Amino acid sequence: MRVAAGNRWLPAAAVTVGLVALFALPQVTGNEYVLALGASFAAMSVLSGGLNLVYGYTGLLSFAQVGFFGIGGYAAALLVTEQDWPFWAAIAAAGISAALVGLLIGYSSLRLSRHAFAIVSLSFALLCMIVARDWVELTRGSMGIPGLPTPTVNLPGGWRWRVVQPADFYYLLMGFAVIAHALIYLVVTSRLGRAMRAIKLNEALAQSQGINPLSYKLLAIALSALLAGIVGGLFVFYLTIVDPSIFDFYYTETTLIMVILGGPGSFWGVLASSAVLTVVPDMLRFTTDLRMVLYGVVLIVAMIVFPGGFGGWLQRRRIARWRRPRAPAPSVAP
Amino acid sequence: MDVSFFVQLLLNGIVIGVIYALIAMGLSLIFGVLEIVNFAHGEFYMLGAMLAYFLTVNWGFGYWATIVIVTVVALMVGYVLYEGLLASLRGESFERSILLTLGLSMILQNGAVFFFTTTPKMMETPFSYSNVVVGDLRVPLARLFALGLGLAAFGALYFILYRTRVGKAMRGVAQNRDAALMVGIDPRAVSRLAVAIGIGLSGLAGAALAPVYAVHPLMGFSFVFKAFAIIIIGGLGNVSGAAIAAVMLGVLESLAGGFLPLAMVDALAFVSMIAVLLLRPQGLFGRGVRV
Amino acid sequence: MTTLLKVHGLTKHYFGLTAVDNVSYEVEAGTIVGLIGPNGSGKSTSIDCISGFQRVDAGSWSLDGRNLTGLPPHRIARAGLTRSFQTVRAYDELTLLENLCVAAQENDGIGWLKALLHGKALRRADAVAEARARDLLAVVGLIDYAEAPAAILSYGQRKLLAIAATMMSRPRLVVLDEPVAGVNPTMVKRIETVIRKLNAEGVTFLIVEHNVDFIMSLCSRVIVLEAGAKIADGPPSLIRSDPRVLAAYLGQTRAAELDTAGG
Repeated sequence: MRVAAGNRWLPAAAVTVGLVALFALPQVTGNEYVLALGASFAAMSVLSGGLNLVYGYTGLLSFAQVGFFGIGGYAAALLVTEQDWPFWAAIAAAGISAALVGLLIGYSSLRLSRHAFAIVSLSFALLCMIVARDWVELTRGSMGIPGLPTPTVNLPGGWRWRVVQPADFYYLLMGFAVIAHALIYLVVTSRLGRAMRAIKLNEALAQSQGINPLSYKLLAIALSALLAGIVGGLFVFYLTIVDPSIFDFYYTETTLIMVILGGPGSFWGVLASSAVLTVVPDMLRFTTDLRMVLYGVVLIVAMIVFPGGFGGWLQRRRIARWRRPRAPAPSVAP
Repeated sequence: MDVSFFVQLLLNGIVIGVIYALIAMGLSLIFGVLEIVNFAHGEFYMLGAMLAYFLTVNWGFGYWATIVIVTVVALMVGYVLYEGLLASLRGESFERSILLTLGLSMILQNGAVFFFTTTPKMMETPFSYSNVVVGDLRVPLARLFALGLGLAAFGALYFILYRTRVGKAMRGVAQNRDAALMVGIDPRAVSRLAVAIGIGLSGLAGAALAPVYAVHPLMGFSFVFKAFAIIIIGGLGNVSGAAIAAVMLGVLESLAGGFLPLAMVDALAFVSMIAVLLLRPQGLFGRGVRV
Repeated sequence: MTTLLKVHGLTKHYFGLTAVDNVSYEVEAGTIVGLIGPNGSGKSTSIDCISGFQRVDAGSWSLDGRNLTGLPPHRIARAGLTRSFQTVRAYDELTLLENLCVAAQENDGIGWLKALLHGKALRRADAVAEARARDLLAVVGLIDYAEAPAAILSYGQRKLLAIAATMMSRPRLVVLDEPVAGVNPTMVKRIETVIRKLNAEGVTFLIVEHNVDFIMSLCSRVIVLEAGAKIADGPPSLIRSDPRVLAAYLGQTRAAELDTAGG
């Protein structure tokens, strides 16, 4: 994000190329496996992007993302199947309800402490799983809600897009992922993101400069919840079923690893690690248990050795460059 | 209302509550002294149960010998855990400690799944089918033993915390770390002991409950999250608060399960926690430690 | 001279001790006022109180007639009272320019929506902030490091950066908490020069310090606290010879001697 003036066009060009490639992919290959990976990457990257916003930028460890993801999924599914809502409206409602829940748990626990918020976010995710499994009248219990109908999107100009092929879902999910990441990027490169970083780096200092930590923390939570809720709504239609497994701790663990490895607070780092961690483990065909053991090892090593992840390593290099001996400037006394 | 039914539920609730308390107190002690939320706490409960299972079923140890061995092993594991992993975190941010213990939990849990598969194992003891019958009440002997062990552990813990020098040091560090340091308390020694005791309590709880419930690698998972909720309800860092809240929760779950057609008994812990946070954020019994 | 800061009856209890005991004082606009006292006299605590970082048990304070009692720190900062910290605080990962621009952003009238829409108002505000930041960096002598991360600064340089940061939002009153503690004599002189310069531009300073010489040479008025209570308040010349102040600094033995001698 900080680039020398001469290279200003390079990142923009790279991003454009990347976007073109992403959207051309289904035209180039009809391979369903590849498209499924793409859809998976789209969803996971939105989750990890939101987690990065809350934890990486604002410094709030949160386990609630999966809760927002699942709430979005169930809300969208229920609104469409039980209340006959149109698809777009259900998705929007999914996002908004997730955001409202996020504000609720954020506001109630943040005024206590960060410790409380971490624990409450965790309990919230678990509570969601329990409700999904046990409150059968609402959520149909362990069987979930299968057979979700094909989404029909009314596009401007009278076109109707039936999202039914794997390529269709790829475009739907990837399209939203691009929008979500653009929004996150907009926020983190603005002074809002700067305030969040200030809060993470030194909250008391930020307060003494007029920054209200609570409002920025709530903003981060609400935005990440909104995006997670929407992508959750989209994702369950892709799966054509929503059931309690959408609240699986697996999502929490995986998105955490994505953020840790990519570097908390590094927008591109987390995006890259999300891609890598979506593709590579599948290719290596580890069983889930071994993969989780490996992730656990990675977490421990990361916490002890390199808490900043890839982004943090880049940051340290930047600092080291400034520390290299320079000719002392006369205006600066030691 | 059937009185004996009520009393039966009460009794069951107390038994499970005492076990919750063992786990929650260990978690609370570790949080109070080290300011670390030990994500892997449930895994030591699970490992304690696993070890008890293998000692009893594969190697033919008696019940009491098993209990003793598992507790001792758990204490040692706690010691090693602190020295090996947690000591390096001293003074570091809270988030890093949660993530580190989360990593540990992932390794232990999934490693256990890999080695032992998720098939639950039932542990048979000589008294698995014995019940103590008093009038209309019937209490399985195994549960009674678990209750007894729990109470004995309480007694031991209170003795340590309130009657020994090192226990007082632990309470001192939990209440005010800086003051304790100034008075010359060695935080490392105190932390080491706190972790050892915490893990020891977890392992003991696992061994005590192994004959009662099925043993499987994911059994620690739900317990530990309830323990988190319990320590919030009791007051972060408040060990006795955690114990009382734990027993209350056990009884509440048991009564709710018996009287109400409530399928969501598991949710009670979290709903209570949310209620406490909204109405009395410092916990029912206040904080034992500044947060 | 108008009264800028009015503190009245400030009281704070702490674990059974009275850390701040019914302290009242006023700070005139445009002056540099010092706040001194032996260890544990409550200087820093009273600063934490009026800047909103500690709850008070009793008392009130106002800035320019506006009551600040009980407000959270960020509201007090926006009202025009900024402060530095004893443990020097900076955003290590941000550049010096960014450190300073953050300090200005809540005070330039740009709300969240305008911040995201990247319109003309935002660009203008950012330009103004950056210009002011560069000016301040020049004043404190750190302009060469404008684009460097704050992590590379030495201790003394961080103190200078902190002072610059307090100025970014055009405050009415700047409270400095031990600005020259742990700093070498050359840097002490430099910080003193900076404070004088900023004061000449119309900013009022309230400085808490242990370095009594520093306070005496810089301040037009000195307030002395001991054991939480105010024991003296006046120009340096008077404070220097005040027996209560001498007693407080020299300790109980001397006070006892004075006692038995004087009766």
